[in-house]
Amino acid sequence: MLTRLRSWKIRLALVLAVIGPGIITANVDNDAGGIYTYSLAGARFGYSLLWTMIPITIALIVIQEMAARMGAVTGKGLSDLIREQFGFRATFLLMAALVVTNFGNVVAEFAGVASSVELFGISKYIIVPLAAALVWVLVVRGTYHSMEKVFLVASGFYLAYVVAGVLAHPDWRAAAISTVHRPAGFTINNHDYLYMVIGLVGTTIAPWMQFYLQASIVEKGITPRQYRASRWDVIVGCVFTDVVAWFIIVACAATLYTHGRHDIADAADAAQALRPLAGEYAYLLFAAGLFNASLFAACILPISTAYAVCEGIGLESGLDKRFDEAPAFYWLYTVLIVVGAGVLLIPRFPLVRIMILSQVVNGVVLPFVLIFMLRLVNDRELMGDHVNSRAYNVVAWVTTGVMIVLTLAMVFTS
Amino acid sequence: MISIVALTECLGRPVVDPEGARVGVLQDLAVLPLEHPTRVGYLVVRAGGEDRVISAQALSSIGGGSPRLRSEASGLRSLPTENLLLLKRDLLDQQIIDVQGRKLVRVNDVELDARPQGDELILSVLGVDVGARAAVRRLASGVVPRHSLRKLLARIPSRVIPWHFVDLLESDPARRVKLKIAYQGLSTLHPADIADIVEDLAPAEREAVFETLDEEVAAGTLEELDPRTQVAIVEALDSDRAADIVEEMGPDAAADLLGELAAEQSGAILEEMEPEERQQVRRLLSFGERTAAGRMTTEYLAMHADASVDALIDALRRFEGGMEALATIYLTDGEGDLVGAVPLAKAVIAAPGTMLRTLSLAPVVNCLPDTPDDQVAELFDKYNLLTLPVVDEHGRLSGIITADDVINVLRGAD
Repeated sequence: MLTRLRSWKIRLALVLAVIGPGIITANVDNDAGGIYTYSLAGARFGYSLLWTMIPITIALIVIQEMAARMGAVTGKGLSDLIREQFGFRATFLLMAALVVTNFGNVVAEFAGVASSVELFGISKYIIVPLAAALVWVLVVRGTYHSMEKVFLVASGFYLAYVVAGVLAHPDWRAAAISTVHRPAGFTINNHDYLYMVIGLVGTTIAPWMQFYLQASIVEKGITPRQYRASRWDVIVGCVFTDVVAWFIIVACAATLYTHGRHDIADAADAAQALRPLAGEYAYLLFAAGLFNASLFAACILPISTAYAVCEGIGLESGLDKRFDEAPAFYWLYTVLIVVGAGVLLIPRFPLVRIMILSQVVNGVVLPFVLIFMLRLVNDRELMGDHVNSRAYNVVAWVTTGVMIVLTLAMVFTS
Repeated sequence: MISIVALTECLGRPVVDPEGARVGVLQDLAVLPLEHPTRVGYLVVRAGGEDRVISAQALSSIGGGSPRLRSEASGLRSLPTENLLLLKRDLLDQQIIDVQGRKLVRVNDVELDARPQGDELILSVLGVDVGARAAVRRLASGVVPRHSLRKLLARIPSRVIPWHFVDLLESDPARRVKLKIAYQGLSTLHPADIADIVEDLAPAEREAVFETLDEEVAAGTLEELDPRTQVAIVEALDSDRAADIVEEMGPDAAADLLGELAAEQSGAILEEMEPEERQQVRRLLSFGERTAAGRMTTEYLAMHADASVDALIDALRRFEGGMEALATIYLTDGEGDLVGAVPLAKAVIAAPGTMLRTLSLAPVVNCLPDTPDDQVAELFDKYNLLTLPVVDEHGRLSGIITADDVINVLRGAD
């Protein structure tokens, strides 16, 4: 008994030593765009989309696990591996597309920051420049290890959505049944319903996540020996993220859907609509959760883009370098933040069109990233005995195939 | 006539025989470092779905990148690849160490020198191109018409690293021997610069560097790395090699490092060390890490107070420790008690035969073994010290702290 307890303690210590990258990456996934999509799913279709959560979680775990494994085994970032294996031209085009889609995401995050504080009556002309400056300084001044602690705390704040879900007094039984069983009322033939399913899947698996996760596994120095513990970091992160998503859908389903408010314009609008229906606290939690999520993602996206692009193309990169040693790296990072936040302050800026463009590029990039990943992870010269097993490959290719079909469908229908 | 050809201009081009008939498509060029350091020995040609090699002696011209063979010696054969440095597979798009620029760079192209000798064409590697010109060439070739591309490229500066300033990274020890990779260039750099490069390497490549570097250089480099990286590297080396390197480190740095390792591993390394070094390190290991005793080194120069300047100069010649410990020479009496301190400069300019005692400063600033870090730093600041002696409770000199260790403490580097 005592030895079993001790072995549990050792195992826990092993997991704690590697915790971080998986949980952080998965949580950033619930950014401003993600929260809006989940809110809309709940408001439009009630509990009837909850069944997608389990397959989405599995897909997320399968793909994230491969990125984490490649990081631990090769000690190199995803863009490095793509460059070394697939050459300059493929890498350059992929990186250019990554910049475009991530720029759209950065704009969306700052828009999330702006709309969440506007709920409290603070002007976006004050908060957006402040947030941009904060992000810039935080990342440039911080080290990987100090940032990781800040981010882990930020991940904890997602619990706000769980509390908001409880405050909305949902019908727990109906929600539970819908999670494991697809309701008969809505069919795949329903165009709007299908479109929402695609939206949910598309918001969950984004190209940038694979680059960020693999890079942070490398940065943290996780070795193949520690990898078994690190896998739990990934799994727990993905499950937690989708539990949060589940509660967002449930909160909106129990309130907005039941009271016939089927349309919301953005995530802040969802918080606003919750106010009369679920009470002041649920509203505050929703608004604060959105602020946290948007700022969190705004911290991670620009820096991870700058790293991935510079490493792939072979330009100097790294926060330990001075500005004149790594000009492209700092310029890219700074422009993403300054322009990404700045466009929100331009009156009548075509925000929606930029978002749609970014989503389209996102959809085009994702298949390439997934296929590159699958080819790399199955390369025995690179991965040794850590290549995918046959069964794992079946799951991974099916997941990739479904992801590709769904994202392309989203691109063509939007 | 001598001309310069870029590797990517030749790859994928058809190889033709003297009659103009197509032999196959050029896949790669191979150098045999054991025979000649730069000369291309073989062409790898794909014919009939199979890669074969042709001796480069059969080459007669490579005008515009397309290789033409002389009539004789054009037989195709297969060859084991482990002795070959394949320019495309092993070099193109890979990271190399730029010894001149003291950093890691990614290879955009390889420049070859094409020199006719009789009716034979001799190809040899000139250097690697890591600049924008090669990047644009690879991006635009096949898309932009040839002559306008050439005009465009002429305007972009190239950045070529001469071949003798390139160190390759190879993690397979057997191939390292066959490709004659010994990090000769890298080992000429300052350990602090080597450390910067090593920090950017993937773990396997890092270990390769530490297995190959001269022990003294490796020790100096290890001291410059942050503790996490130190531990990761030493854990990966076998304890024999690790002990050789640790022996060459300053005893204080060695003790810090061994203190971070698992007891089993540090025990194994201590076991392999020379008895004298082992004893010193063991003693230091028994002190608290963040105290004067934990920071001090036992490699310093102490003279008897009655000795003359000449004896000191003699002792200096025989001193094997780090030069930073010599800023001040400490004087002891027969018991080993600290009785004086002479700045090195003062001793050097004194007339021959001068007694050290007469040059001594008074009083001598010192501290106890359990003095905490912050007080040590205060003493350095207040008395403008370069070194600080540590004495035990009986007043006996037991070690000295050097300013570089205090700077580490102040920067929070460990």
